[in-house]
Amino acid sequence: MSRMRTPEETKAAMHEVVEEMYDRIVKGEPPTMTLPVRTKNNIGFDKKLGVYKYGKKKSIRDATSLGSAKQLLRALHVVEFIEEMLDAGKSSTLREMYYISEAWGMGKFGSQNESNNLAEDLEIVTKCLREDFKLRPEEDGARMIGNLTLRERNRRGEWMRINARDDVGDSGYGVPYNVELEKIELLEHDIDFIMAIETGGMFDRLIENGFDEAYRCGLLHLKGQPARSTRRIMKRMSEEWDLPVVVFLDGDPWSFRIFASIAYGAIKTAHISEYLATPSATYLGITADDIVAYDLPSDDLSKKDIEALNAELSDPRFADSWWQDQINMMLELDKKAEQQSLAKYGLDFVTETYLPEKLAELGLA
Amino acid sequence: MSGIAQKLASNQKQVAISEFFEKNKHFLGFDSLARSLITAVKEAVDNALDACEEARILPTIKIQITKLDTKKDIVRMVVEDNGPGIPQKSIEKVFGQLLFGSRFHAIRQSRGQQGIGITGVVMYCQLTTGRTTHVRSKIANEPTAAFVDIGLDTRKNKATKANAGREIWYNEDGTGKEHGTEVTAEMKAKYQKGRQSVWQYLRMTSIVNPHAEIIFVDPEGERHHWTRVTERLPTKVESIKPHPHGIELGQLQRMIAESKDLNLNHFLLNNFSGVTNRARKELCQAAEIEGTRKMKSVKGDDIRALLESFQGERLFNGLPVKLLKPPTNCLSPIEEMLIKKGLSKTIDSRFVTTLTRVPSVTQGNPFQVEVGLIFGGGMAGDKPVEILRFANRVPLMYQQGGCLLTKAIESVDWRQYGLDQPGGKGVPKGPAAILVHLASTNVQFTSEAKEALADNAEVMEEARKAMLEMGRGLRKHLEKKKKMAKTKEKFELINDILPAIAEKSAQILERPIPELSGSITRIMSAVISESTTEWNKETKQTDVEIILFNYTSRVRAYTILATWPEKAGATMEKNETGGRKEALGVWAWKLESLQPGEKTTITYSLGGLERGDWTETEILFRGSQDVIGATKMDEKFLQEIRRQEQILGESGVVEPEAETDQKQAETVEKTDEPSEEKIEPAVAPPDGQRTLFGGDV
Repeated sequence: MSRMRTPEETKAAMHEVVEEMYDRIVKGEPPTMTLPVRTKNNIGFDKKLGVYKYGKKKSIRDATSLGSAKQLLRALHVVEFIEEMLDAGKSSTLREMYYISEAWGMGKFGSQNESNNLAEDLEIVTKCLREDFKLRPEEDGARMIGNLTLRERNRRGEWMRINARDDVGDSGYGVPYNVELEKIELLEHDIDFIMAIETGGMFDRLIENGFDEAYRCGLLHLKGQPARSTRRIMKRMSEEWDLPVVVFLDGDPWSFRIFASIAYGAIKTAHISEYLATPSATYLGITADDIVAYDLPSDDLSKKDIEALNAELSDPRFADSWWQDQINMMLELDKKAEQQSLAKYGLDFVTETYLPEKLAELGLA
Repeated sequence: MSGIAQKLASNQKQVAISEFFEKNKHFLGFDSLARSLITAVKEAVDNALDACEEARILPTIKIQITKLDTKKDIVRMVVEDNGPGIPQKSIEKVFGQLLFGSRFHAIRQSRGQQGIGITGVVMYCQLTTGRTTHVRSKIANEPTAAFVDIGLDTRKNKATKANAGREIWYNEDGTGKEHGTEVTAEMKAKYQKGRQSVWQYLRMTSIVNPHAEIIFVDPEGERHHWTRVTERLPTKVESIKPHPHGIELGQLQRMIAESKDLNLNHFLLNNFSGVTNRARKELCQAAEIEGTRKMKSVKGDDIRALLESFQGERLFNGLPVKLLKPPTNCLSPIEEMLIKKGLSKTIDSRFVTTLTRVPSVTQGNPFQVEVGLIFGGGMAGDKPVEILRFANRVPLMYQQGGCLLTKAIESVDWRQYGLDQPGGKGVPKGPAAILVHLASTNVQFTSEAKEALADNAEVMEEARKAMLEMGRGLRKHLEKKKKMAKTKEKFELINDILPAIAEKSAQILERPIPELSGSITRIMSAVISESTTEWNKETKQTDVEIILFNYTSRVRAYTILATWPEKAGATMEKNETGGRKEALGVWAWKLESLQPGEKTTITYSLGGLERGDWTETEILFRGSQDVIGATKMDEKFLQEIRRQEQILGESGVVEPEAETDQKQAETVEKTDEPSEEKIEPAVAPPDGQRTLFGGDV
């Protein structure tokens, strides 16, 4: 799966989509595009891959309503645009494609979100990656700090060797949008595990306190819901270096979702879960128990929080008993807590007490 | 109405005018400083409109309000019109004398039923500022205008006249004024803005007088201009004789006392409407009075007996005496199309529906209800709708809550018609304004202030029915708008998007562009109608085009029907598809076979209309398969149209005036059996001769 496709393969895959539309018109029927249903009701656990993937439910987008018909026309414009880029050896960002669509007349996008979704649709039906399409996300990847060394090919096509502790400043190594083999090679490391952190404040706190060196780990800043390249590089480090991944997030329903997308695969990208998800990742905190055990300053759950927790109870990714307990406990407590609430006990509490205790439970400290 | 007039006239000699005025100012319209100004403007403008109507002149009225002394609230009002003007010797009478009676006997619709006329304004100015009212007037066949200052001698209770003279009257642009009247009055009053203001009064006046041009310069110097949107003057109203059902004892006594008729038979036939020869006989028998009795001998109990037989309390053969309904051509409705124009010019909106009910009768008085609803556009969506009330074309601005017309609006559950109405009660909310106009020969008010209409079951019923019908119109419009949006989308899909998909996919695959008709039929799978109604500048006609597309796989047959303003005198032109008249204002075309994938076009033009008269054609159909963009013909709707057509045909309202007159003349002939000679009615029906500012010459 991580293998990039040749331009010819990509074109052939896209032509199948176009043919579906063309053939329907020839038969005197409305053109269609067939897609898997992209909701939590249509994801299932793939035992072979150890991640959640889309199930068999399909939805047919047909041109009987104006909205769907426009989607089909846009898809055709996108296909044509990608073919042009493949032929010219160029790439563009999704945002650039959104602006380029201004020239597509009736096929232009109404919003950036529409163009992002359509790129995903095409990935799903063609089983290609957007890297195959030469489309880059706008989202920037994560920051990384720790004693690990990799090789990145720069714009001039030269390989640069970078150590994410010695060759970077305080902001760490910036993960590029493409972390595939032709762009990044993982060389060597001297760490015991990788810790993914939700907020920038906590990431900086751990760096300032020298946590990466004291506990021999690589720190990764997720920036909220992690970008595809962030998830992809975690997956690669975990597999290629055989390193455990622990995830340190806020203690609220949205953090649970972030973890699910890291460990089991996100619903939106379930077509490439095996490529992005790290099934061995562990949720370190903040757990619902932590709120009680450490007596953390907390906020009441909002209506939306409660809705999200209830939705998670029926999400197949949270079906195991540990998650069910956590979710139910949070609902009972009616509380949520931020990572930085640990500062209640001082700036060093997180690095000297909380994390060592939590890591010890996992046998990592 | 006659109550105050008589009171005023008879009290005039005993009580000082100032005292009388002070006592009665609340119903004279001078109870607050703000209202006094509105009343003054109202009297002047009403009279200007009446005079122009009388002289068949399209009115242009300029009103200017200037603050003279803000501390003491002294205001100057100047109202100028282009009416016929008043001869010099009549000016003093018109402005200085109180209430010259005859208008109060007149049984017809008139503006001047309210207030005591312009004389009241002259009095008010004199009493509050001590100043006289300056009048300038010019009639067409005199080279110069006459001017004079009119005041009131409060000690002698008499009009005074000073500084009379003649001058050449120049317009602003230096040309000579042909005819018109200008009144300049200075009074203690306050200019206010808002719902009860001179501005609002003029705005409302402009809505119901679309033939008038009104220019208002407010105290801040801002110029408000309401343009003329039609060249059509209101139809001239006929006076009618009183109907026995609407007569009161006092009036009957007076009529009998003043009668110069030969005998009771003649009296009954000559002085009342609705009394046939048969009815005359039966009324006499029911009252147990000989028809040959001389009028002088009809007294006391006889009069009471006569009244009782009028009112059906005394019976003939065990039944109340049957009377004809009074004629209704004494009413002058504004009419649907003109209300529409009036509303559209003053309020920015998306949708206007108006309705004029057929005339009806309550207690011997003909009346007619008209309503209008304007929706959408720039109006606020979360506030109660604006209510515009009118009685005989006069705006009602006070006591909205207590008025019958408001109650009629409140009695409708507007929620089912697409307006907000908490609890289904009260004034609805939404981006709309509702207009209600009562035209009647006898408008009943709740009080002498004449700002709210009194309860009356028949009027209420008519107003309510009109609201319901209008509400249905609104709902239809909203539904249609939704449907049209959907249809428009489908057309965009098959006309633009689908060909683009075919072309692009063919291009990418390097194959020929496929044929689309099959896909189109599958996508639409419907019969669709599209229609346009547009004013044609060159031909001065309204062009209508109806296109019917068959996007199904079968041959279809339909009857297509379209509404058109036949009632308003439109003519059907260049209708090459032919068809036939289905009912009043509904034309029908039979389309025998519409092939799959084909379209048929019907075009025609409407003559005899002005620009903006007719902007939307409703398309209906008869046939099995639904037609998107058209409404399935409801045969009940046709029946209702035919019923109304019949009523209109009977009352003659829809016919040209001349014909109507003839018809009536005939009926009068027939009933006029006892005597061949022409008898002059004893109580002379006023011939409607009035001067510019009310009162007789």
